[in-house]
Amino acid sequence: MLETRNLDKSFGAVHVTRDVSLKLERGERRVILGPNGAGKTTLFNQLVGELTPDSGSVHLAGEDVTALPVARRARRGLSRSYQKNTLFDGLTVEENLSLAAAVHTGNASQLWSDSFTKPEVHEIVAEVAEQVNLMPYIHARVSEISYGVRRQLEVGVALATRPLVLLMDEPTSGVGPEMSKGFHDLLNNLPRDLTLLIIEHDMDLAFDVADTITVLNYGEVVFDGVPEAARNSKLLKEIYLGSWEDA
Amino acid sequence: MFRHNALRYAVLVALSLAALFQALTAEYFGLEILTEILILAVLVLALDMVAGFGGQVSLCHGALMGVGAYVYALVSAKAGIAPPVAMASAVAVTGVIAWVIGAICSRSHGIYFIMATLAFGQMAYAYVFEAPVFGGDDGLSGISRLDLSLFGIDLDDSRSFALFCLAVAGAVYGASVMTLQSGLGRSLTGVMHNEQRMRALGLTVWRVKADVFGLSGMIAGLAGVLAAQHVMYISPGLLSWTVSGEALVVVILGGLGTLVGPLIGAAAFVLLKHEISAWTDHWHLVVGVVLIAVVMSGANGIFGWAEARWGGWLERRMADATRKHEQEEVVSDA
Amino acid sequence: MAHDLGFWTLQTLNALQLSMLLFLLSIGLTVIFGLMHFVNLAHGSLYALGAYFAASLAAVGGYWMGFFLAPVAVAGIGILLYSGFIKRMRKSGPMAQVLVTFGLIFALLDLTRIFWGDLALAIEVPSALAGRLDFLGVEYPAYRLFIIVLGVAIFGLLAFVLGRTQIGAMIRAGVDNDAMAACLGINVERMFFVVFCVGCALAGLAGAVAAPLLSVTPDMGLHVLIPTLIVIVIGGLGSLKGAIAGSLIYGFVQTFGAVLAPQLASVLIYALLAAVLVIKPVGLFPARG
Repeated sequence: MLETRNLDKSFGAVHVTRDVSLKLERGERRVILGPNGAGKTTLFNQLVGELTPDSGSVHLAGEDVTALPVARRARRGLSRSYQKNTLFDGLTVEENLSLAAAVHTGNASQLWSDSFTKPEVHEIVAEVAEQVNLMPYIHARVSEISYGVRRQLEVGVALATRPLVLLMDEPTSGVGPEMSKGFHDLLNNLPRDLTLLIIEHDMDLAFDVADTITVLNYGEVVFDGVPEAARNSKLLKEIYLGSWEDA
Repeated sequence: MFRHNALRYAVLVALSLAALFQALTAEYFGLEILTEILILAVLVLALDMVAGFGGQVSLCHGALMGVGAYVYALVSAKAGIAPPVAMASAVAVTGVIAWVIGAICSRSHGIYFIMATLAFGQMAYAYVFEAPVFGGDDGLSGISRLDLSLFGIDLDDSRSFALFCLAVAGAVYGASVMTLQSGLGRSLTGVMHNEQRMRALGLTVWRVKADVFGLSGMIAGLAGVLAAQHVMYISPGLLSWTVSGEALVVVILGGLGTLVGPLIGAAAFVLLKHEISAWTDHWHLVVGVVLIAVVMSGANGIFGWAEARWGGWLERRMADATRKHEQEEVVSDA
Repeated sequence: MAHDLGFWTLQTLNALQLSMLLFLLSIGLTVIFGLMHFVNLAHGSLYALGAYFAASLAAVGGYWMGFFLAPVAVAGIGILLYSGFIKRMRKSGPMAQVLVTFGLIFALLDLTRIFWGDLALAIEVPSALAGRLDFLGVEYPAYRLFIIVLGVAIFGLLAFVLGRTQIGAMIRAGVDNDAMAACLGINVERMFFVVFCVGCALAGLAGAVAAPLLSVTPDMGLHVLIPTLIVIVIGGLGSLKGAIAGSLIYGFVQTFGAVLAPQLASVLIYALLAAVLVIKPVGLFPARG
């Protein structure tokens, strides 16, 4: 569903992505692990087109999308959430989701009709709100909901474009352990045919939800395999310097 | 995201009634002032649409208005084509020019956007000033008003013309609200809040920006047509960047991003100008000081301030009501 | 139109003279923007004030008194503006800054009218620079040559201060990243203040040297503002290189445009600006990538 071939990127002398080749099957849930500065977010930025790789290619559903701009990749079914919330602050939860759903349903640049009153937009908004547990807050403004709920909305907005592939950049960053558990339930609510690529720091959660695990270190893929194999990998223990034992 | 609320409706009704009353009862001078207010209102509605709901602080809207006025004058007075056609072509040409400017400037933000629009406005000003067809410094005269004698209306009468401008301003307000509450307008507000996210959702951001800027340009062009018909004479001064600056001042004084606020701003601005000019010729000093005071106070203009106060009052009343309700419950429990 | 060598020399000198005047104006504006992210539209009004101060002082103590004291007086006005408005507007967005300084333009315009009246003032070229000099076979007014020399000298001085001294290194660090500069122990607030005053003084100096060439009127600040903004946007905000490059581009396009393609001259520079904004939205030599 999503594939990279020999992706490479440098910022000046800093080599942030080294020859990264990944292949995600449809419905696969993959977690990317790696210490800070391993190039996880940089990789995401190249996948969605916010950064252009120096060499290599990105393929979505079998087609080379390396040359496509961000918006056109998104319209082909590649969506992402951000590590730092990128919500529409003055607006309500419903309006946040509606903006995204309007783009997906082709109502976002209509002059003669209000995208927010379209039944197909309502349908998506209701469905996504259910999936990410936002129903109780649907009419609250972003400024009125807690940080944890905002994290849910961040994923919800990305989901409201009805993606084929969803990239989640540390969806549980900054939320407490109970919330992380809630996120586990959230993932269980998502359709099984949605392909997920998740950057995650919480080891328990990572091993729990992942079908496969990729570990990046200094921009390089150092491990690629199933969670059981990752658990027993010596190399990973070295990279994480003991913090591994907790997992 | 544009929403009407009780206060906005109330102010809107009050403003319309006041304008209607003025149009029906005022003498010549009062009608001239009313017409001036209404034309400025149309221009600042166009500006608030892009600046208040898209974050596109344009310093070329005065020039766009000038373009509309000149196209109307050229097509109707020089080419001798019927005013309705001339009006339509003026609006269309201004819209296209604004769309192109919006598309080119869609990558610029903040101060660069302001500068870029300023540059395009000045380019239009310089061109109109230099090109012989526009009459240079002397401008163009002999511009006629729309002929509505078919409906028994003589627009050369200043009362009829004021009423005509009021109708146009009302229609423009409706069109602005409709645009802002359309899919396009909503996407524009999304872009203002977070452009990167809208792009990541799959929106072609530059098209949305250019489309709304084009629509806003059409409205500015319409304001220009009205201005040309009002004075029946135009000069390059109409395109000067200070006109754009003044329009921005009016939007800010009234309340950016409220649509209703700029209407109040337009009325306040024109009335103040005439009042102050009556007793001192240092009108700019007063405007400057008021502008500095309003911006530095941190309030969103006159209407923004009123709305914030009103919101606070509503909240207190709600809180009071809940408290009363709770007390009653306690009593009934006992 | 005689397109001989003398013609080209003459036009080149005219272009240089215009460029240097614009450079004096734009350098202050651009460095203030680069350092403080503050857009001071009232910079042109300071130029007008410089011209008025120079005219008044020249009437009392001759040209050179105006030349040396007008920049000081304008820097004094700058101090007032800084402590009264600009310091408080530092954290505001660009629109609030544009509007407050737009208000300042209006207020200063009328204040100059109140103090000096509506009539244009004239000021004499100093006797030492009154005649014409033979330059590469062209008779050229000595005073205009003086402006070119002055501009080049100021450019050299600023290039030296910014590039070779510790203060310059501090300013460059501030333009690059003011938070980081503050962490390195640089008193950023004081540096802002000093740079703002120097920028104002240079605007005042530009007004003082321009005064004998033009008539001194209240709206001269308004007229010069747009060219100054064009210079810094073409050049790229915040850099000395950008200011000098932008000034030269503006000076040459304007001067040669006027003689070679008079119909297009005024539009040409705006078209160039639009082209720069489309191709490089942050100008040719921005201080930061």
